[in-house]
Amino acid sequence: MATINGKDIRKLVVACDAGMGSSVMLASTLRKQLGKSGVTVEHSPVNSIPADADLVVCHSGLAARARSVAPSKPIVPFQVFLGDPAVTKVVKAIQQGTDLNV
Amino acid sequence: MASTYTPQVTGTGFKARVQKVGGYLAGMVMPNIGALIAWGLITALFIPVGWIPNENLAQLVDPMIKYLLPVLIGYTGGRMVHGQRGAVVGAVATFGVVVGADVPMFLGAMIIGPLAAYVLKLFDTAIEGKVRPGFEMLIDNFSAGIIGGAFAILGKLAIGPIVEGLTKAAGNGVDWLLDHSLMPLVSVLVEPAKVLFMNNAINHGVFSPLGVQQVQEQGKSILFMIESNPGPGLGLLAAYLFFGPRSLRPSAPAAMIIHFLGGIHEIYFPYVLMKPRLILAMIAGGMAGVATFMVTGTGTVASPAPGSIFAFAAVTARDGYVGMILGVVIAALVTFGVASLLLGFGKLKSDQELDPAEEQVADEAEIPHQRTADTAAGNAADTTGHSAGSERAAEGTDRAGTDSNRKENA
Repeated sequence: MATINGKDIRKLVVACDAGMGSSVMLASTLRKQLGKSGVTVEHSPVNSIPADADLVVCHSGLAARARSVAPSKPIVPFQVFLGDPAVTKVVKAIQQGTDLNV
Repeated sequence: MASTYTPQVTGTGFKARVQKVGGYLAGMVMPNIGALIAWGLITALFIPVGWIPNENLAQLVDPMIKYLLPVLIGYTGGRMVHGQRGAVVGAVATFGVVVGADVPMFLGAMIIGPLAAYVLKLFDTAIEGKVRPGFEMLIDNFSAGIIGGAFAILGKLAIGPIVEGLTKAAGNGVDWLLDHSLMPLVSVLVEPAKVLFMNNAINHGVFSPLGVQQVQEQGKSILFMIESNPGPGLGLLAAYLFFGPRSLRPSAPAAMIIHFLGGIHEIYFPYVLMKPRLILAMIAGGMAGVATFMVTGTGTVASPAPGSIFAFAAVTARDGYVGMILGVVIAALVTFGVASLLLGFGKLKSDQELDPAEEQVADEAEIPHQRTADTAAGNAADTTGHSAGSERAAEGTDRAGTDSNRKENA
């Protein structure tokens, strides 16, 4: 189990299958929520997660692929696209600079 | 890091593999959907049976579908394998399969584009560091030119004819399904695969290549409408709104807007995965929709992507609006009916809690330290396992509900 501090997250990547639909939606939501924190939020296809991502957020149905593409990255899987508790925890950890277990 | 919550670090599962292959196919088509829609709109407007027939502008139709779109796909496929250089040889090689073919060679482009790029990649890796200073550009340009040219020839002579045969055979298979009224059965495969996040792979990897062939022959295709019909998802979310677990009801309206108007179908997948028996409702609705499309003989001229009702309205064939609207509405109603029944009209007590399956997925999503704390608190949680788990999960989804509520109000 790895722990990452919210303060160390500079770049958050939301991944989905094509990197064009649901990830864009969630990324724009997160960008609004994290606007003041200075964290870069990007979206990408799960097959090409950028190398400089600090944390990857993707639906649990795609988590296995995300892990095979970026084995060294902390990955937060979530279940629902609107207000998933796992995503809320990420936002809190970044805003308050607390530790996040992934 | 490996634990019960993160079972394996490497994604070697069958599902992940299929998703990955499908993801590559869809990844070649999806960035080019804009071009596909441009072609679809031009076709719908200017062909002899279109809105404003215009012989001069209709000349755009054939070269765009035969040359532009496959070349874009081969270009994108090459880029996925080997960057800009791969993209260039992918496009050159694709020309070998498209010239002279009388079907749109999407499939050929999906094969030869990445293949040519892969060979160039092997070459580049083999000579890396061995090129004399000053000769890099010479070698780079001529290796790409020779490999691209060779693949164009190979494509024209060998790969093209084979793929053309396969594409025609697949097209005949589709015609056979339509002739025998068996098209709705396709939903039995499509709907379950869809919620396992293979939606793009199916729609853009399989249906789009076959669909453009039909549009070229008949001016419209039903194939674009099978996966992308927003009706079943709308019906499912409506059933959740009225009869779903109370904690999930508040999130349904926002999800309905994003799904039906925005066309992001992924938003409803979790609602099916939570209660897997609802897949029956999706299949029933999907079949009803496809059957309606088939009986009314409707079709679209391009892929309505994303699968929003607006995208549907934009690309529906001129004579197909009644069938399109009927199909979407009937699919939504059937899914709503079956899903409501499966949810026991909100009266099943067990439904107000969560299914074991849901509990499991909720556990997976959970941040591990919480779980460790739970276990540390004693094995009490384990002995009362199920109820404790579902409470915990219900708490989670409850929070999810209120969160999205807040978002809506904001």
